[in-house]
Amino acid sequence: MKAWHLRDIILVTILAIFMGVIFFVIGPVYTVLSAALAPAGLQPLANEILLGIWVMAGPLAGYIIRIPGAATLGELLGAVVEMFLGGVWGASTLISGVVQGFGSELGFILTGYKRYNWLTLVISALTTTIVTFTWSLFRAGYASYHLGFLAMLFTVRFISVFLFGGVLTKLITNLLARAHVVKNIR
Amino acid sequence: MNPSLKLAWVVLLALELSFTQVWTVNLVLIVISLILMLACHVPLKRLLWLTGVPLFFASALVWSLTLQGSASHHFLIVIFTRMFVYVYLGGLFTQTTDPLILTRSLEQNAHLPSKFAYGFLAAFNLMPKIQAEVASIKAAALMRGQVLHVWSPQLYFKAILTAMHWSDQLSLAMTSHGFVEGAPRTQAEVIPLRRRDWWLTAGSLIIIQVGLFTGLP
Repeated sequence: MKAWHLRDIILVTILAIFMGVIFFVIGPVYTVLSAALAPAGLQPLANEILLGIWVMAGPLAGYIIRIPGAATLGELLGAVVEMFLGGVWGASTLISGVVQGFGSELGFILTGYKRYNWLTLVISALTTTIVTFTWSLFRAGYASYHLGFLAMLFTVRFISVFLFGGVLTKLITNLLARAHVVKNIR
Repeated sequence: MNPSLKLAWVVLLALELSFTQVWTVNLVLIVISLILMLACHVPLKRLLWLTGVPLFFASALVWSLTLQGSASHHFLIVIFTRMFVYVYLGGLFTQTTDPLILTRSLEQNAHLPSKFAYGFLAAFNLMPKIQAEVASIKAAALMRGQVLHVWSPQLYFKAILTAMHWSDQLSLAMTSHGFVEGAPRTQAEVIPLRRRDWWLTAGSLIIIQVGLFTGLP
């Protein structure tokens, strides 16, 4: 197993900051989408549609850096960036960061940090969705929704996480593979 | 108060309140963090922002829980106040904590390995450069008639290349300036961890436990 060295630590932090900066533009989109969906009682849907973008730092860091803990650390640092850039959710962002990061980490744990392909990304998207959804059941009171509505939220969340954490991550790493810049990505 | 203990306190509370349903405790915490923020001279504009945002999201959440779910009134009040607790506790922490002091405290008091503490610090100091880099990646693409969106792989590809380049250079620079992983270090600024900090943390946590588990509504 690879261990953490100074270069990897700086790399995962810079990556997280890049993601944070790129996603900072999403903030207003989230607010507008929430406001548009709120009158119909569909505000959680805004969260589900955009969740994939927020959790992307996890699978991307995990796939590129390939050290146990990379996905969790990447996502946690993303949350730290958001917190100090002026996000309002403060400490609960940190908890969400760990939960989301651990969710995608589970995907890599289940494949033993050995296989890095489509299967890993699909499993990672699935575990991310399940873990973060369980957290939402408690945190945001999702447990009180009707079952049909809950199933809809879950499906939308999985699609979002899969598109950004799975498909987009794969497309990005394909580009990296073609450029031959990362030794272990072919 | 010691930054590491403060961080642990805020995270522990946020975690515990996510699983408990006592709105009176939420309310008391909201009032206390508001008073503490006022005492620490948090700007009024920031306070209004910290109130407006949760007001909108908590209302929207309660509204959708009413329409799409079967939550009791008690639970709706809990959820509504909980959103404010998250934001106010978080605000109290970020507005009264300096990231540099926090990192030093995590290294000295929480025994985070120094390679992590200094690695984070080195990277976080690049924040303005990273913001400029994202803008210049987008501008460079625009010159060739490409518009890069949040879903464009090229945007991330270029960002990752830059990240790898910079992390190579930074770690080399740190090593050449004498940074050795795992070597014992002396501190220029010692962050105190007083007895008072422990008493304050433990005492307030115990009082909150009493509030949470003695049957308050």
